[in-house]
Amino acid sequence: MEPKQWNALALGAVVLLVIGSWLLFWPLESKITKGLDIRGGLSVILTAEETTGTAITEGVMDRAELIVRNRVDRLGASEASIQRQGAASILVQLPGIGNADEALAALGTTGQLEIRDVVSVDATGAPVLGDILLTGDVITGASISTDQLGKLSVDVTFSGEGAKRWAEITTARVGRQIAIVLDDIVQSAPVVQEPILGGQTAITGNFTPEEAKKLKTVLETGALPVSLKFEESRVVGPTLGQDSLRKGVFAALVGLALVGVYLILFYRGLGVLSLTSLFVFGSLFLGILAVLSSFGWFALSLPGIAGIVLTIGLAADSSILINERFKEEVAAGKTIRSAAKSSTRQAIGTSLDANLVTLVSAFVLYLVAIGPVRGFALTLMIGIFCTVVVMVLYKRPIIIALGESVMMKMPRLFALKGGGGGA
Amino acid sequence: MPRFEIDFLGRKLLFAVISGVLLALAIGALTVQGLSFGIEFQGGTVINITADVPLEISEVREAFVDAGFREPVVQSTEDGGFIVRASESDPDEVNRAFGDVAAALGLDRAAGTVTTIGPGWGQSVTNAALLALVLSVFAILLYISLRFEYKMSITAVTALIHDIIIVLGIYALSGRDVTPNTIAALLTIMGYSLYDTVVVFHRMKENSVTLVKSTFTSMANHSINQVLVRTINTSVTSLIPVVVLLFFGGETLRDFAFALTVGLFISTYSSIGVASPIFVLWKEREPKFRALAKKYAQAS
Repeated sequence: MEPKQWNALALGAVVLLVIGSWLLFWPLESKITKGLDIRGGLSVILTAEETTGTAITEGVMDRAELIVRNRVDRLGASEASIQRQGAASILVQLPGIGNADEALAALGTTGQLEIRDVVSVDATGAPVLGDILLTGDVITGASISTDQLGKLSVDVTFSGEGAKRWAEITTARVGRQIAIVLDDIVQSAPVVQEPILGGQTAITGNFTPEEAKKLKTVLETGALPVSLKFEESRVVGPTLGQDSLRKGVFAALVGLALVGVYLILFYRGLGVLSLTSLFVFGSLFLGILAVLSSFGWFALSLPGIAGIVLTIGLAADSSILINERFKEEVAAGKTIRSAAKSSTRQAIGTSLDANLVTLVSAFVLYLVAIGPVRGFALTLMIGIFCTVVVMVLYKRPIIIALGESVMMKMPRLFALKGGGGGA
Repeated sequence: MPRFEIDFLGRKLLFAVISGVLLALAIGALTVQGLSFGIEFQGGTVINITADVPLEISEVREAFVDAGFREPVVQSTEDGGFIVRASESDPDEVNRAFGDVAAALGLDRAAGTVTTIGPGWGQSVTNAALLALVLSVFAILLYISLRFEYKMSITAVTALIHDIIIVLGIYALSGRDVTPNTIAALLTIMGYSLYDTVVVFHRMKENSVTLVKSTFTSMANHSINQVLVRTINTSVTSLIPVVVLLFFGGETLRDFAFALTVGLFISTYSSIGVASPIFVLWKEREPKFRALAKKYAQAS
C-alpha cells in the first residue's frame, strides 16, 4: 500500500474508533462499572482451610467456592461477584449490601452438610425439611460415573458407622424423598429407590456434567470439610467512596488541563497535536473500559483511578518523545517533510521499547498481586496499549500529513526552527 | 551541533557523591528508624469516617474505647473526617462494635468504611508483592538483554534498585505507613525509572552505530543532551497529574501520590546520574572504545 493511502486509512480508522468509543462509553455514569470501594458495600477475601489440615488443592478450592456461592445466594445479594484470587483465596464482593453485619456472620462459618428428612412438598414443589438424619462427616467420598447409556450418576461412599445408619434410614424410606442440604439450602432431593445396605450409593438423575460435578463437590464438603477464614474485609459506606471518586476525577481533570497548557506553551502547534492525541487516547481508553464493564470484567476502583492519572502521564510522554525527535531532526537540517517520516518512526521505536518495559512490570503485578492493586495494574496495561495505538494510528500519520502542508508554510507556528519550507 | 551541551559524564564524581550520600541516608534511616507497615501488612482494623457533624478527636476516641476497642489510634483528616486504627481483626466483632460507635457519636452507620485484615494475611500480601518485584526485575533484565545488551540491562536495574532504596528510605524518614498502594507505587516507579533509562540507552545505541571520530564517553554525553529536553518535559508532564493527585486526590489516594512524586524525581535523576555513568565506564573498557579513547581523548 502507498504510504499516503496508509495514512488516510489510519486517520479514518482513528475517527471511527473515537466515534465508536464515545457511543460505547457515553454516558459515563452508567457505562463504566464502579467498584465497591466507590459504590459502597461489603468486600471480603476469604481463605480456605481444610479442617483436617491437608494442603490446599484445586478440589478444596472448588468446595470452598461452592460453600461461598451457596451462602451468598442465601443472603439474596444481587450483583454479587465471587472470584478466586491466587492459590488459596476467594474474593467476595457484595455491592450496595444493607446489612454488612449479617453478611459477615453468614460468610464466616464452616460449611454444614446434612441429610434430612422430607416431610412434605410445598406449593411450589420445594421440599419441606424434617429431622436431620445424618451429618456430612459420615461421607467418605464422592465420584462421578457413567453407565453404558452415557447417563451420569454421582456415587457416594459412607464410613462403617455411617453405612449402618444409612442402611436403616434407606430401609425405612423406600419410595420417599430425602434431602441433601448444605448450609440450610437443599442441593438435591432424591427418592430412595431401595434399601442401601453396603454404604455404596448411586444418585441418578438426568444430570448434566456440570450438575453432576456440583453435586459431587457438595457431597465432598461432608467428607472433607472446608472452613473459611476472613483475611480482609472492607465495609464501605457509600458517601466516602463517592467523595473519593469526585476528588479523583477532579484531580485527573486538573492534571490533564495543566499538562495541556504546558504542552501548548512549549510546543505550540505540535502541542495542540499532542493534546488532540491525548483526546484520542482518552476516548479509546474509556471505550475499552466501557466494553470490559459490560462483560463484568472491570470495575473502577480508587487505585484504578490512580492508574488512569498515571497513564495520562505516560501518554503525554510518548507524545513528547515524538515532538522532540521531530524538532531535533528539523533543527539538524532535514526538510520538514522527510523529518516527519523518519523522526516519527524512530520515536515510536524508542517509545515502544520503553512502554514494553513498563508493560512487563504492570503485567507481573496483575498476575501476582492480590486485592485492590490488581485494578491499578489493569488500568495501567490498558493505558499502555492505548498509547501505542494512538502513536501508530494517529500521531505519526497526522504529523506526516501536516508535515506536507501546514507545517511547511508556517514552521514557526509549530515551534520548528531551521528546516525551511521549500528546501 | 551548535547547541550548548552540559558535560554530565564529566561530573561522574559529583553524581557518585550525591548518590552515595542519598543511599547512605536511606539505608541509615531504614536500619535506625525502620519502615512502619500499615495494618494491611500486620493485621488489624482501619476505619475511615466522614463526619457531617463537627467532632473532637477525644470524643471519637472515647466512643471507640467504650465500644470495646483496646487501643484505638484516632487521627483527623483535612475534610473533617477521622481515620481510626486498632489492632482488632475479627470483621464480625469490629463491625458490630463500629455500629455502637456510630450510634454513640450520632453518625450514620454508612458514614464509615471499615477495613479489617487478618493477622496471617499481611504475610501473604507481602510475599506476593515481593514475588512481583523479583519477577519483574528478572523479566526486565531479560527484555533489555535481548533487545539491547546485557551491560545495559544490568546498569538499568542498578539504577532501579538505587531508586527504590532511596524511596523506601524517605518512607522510613517520614514515618509514613507502607500500604499495598505503596507497593503499587514502587512498581510504577520501576516502570518510570526504566522508561527514562531506556530512552537514553536507545539514543546511545543509535549513535554508537556511526561512532568513529569521538570517544564513547563524549558520544554518550551527546546522547544524554539530545534527549535532555524530552527527559525534562516528560518528567514535568508526568509530575503534574501526580502532584495534583497529592494535593486534591483525597486521603485515600494521597500516599500513592506521595511515593510517586518522590520516585519520579529520583528516577529522572538516576537515568542520567547513575545508569549512564556506570554504563559508560563499563563500555570504555571494551577494546574497540579504548582505542577510540586513546585516539580522541585530547580532541574532545
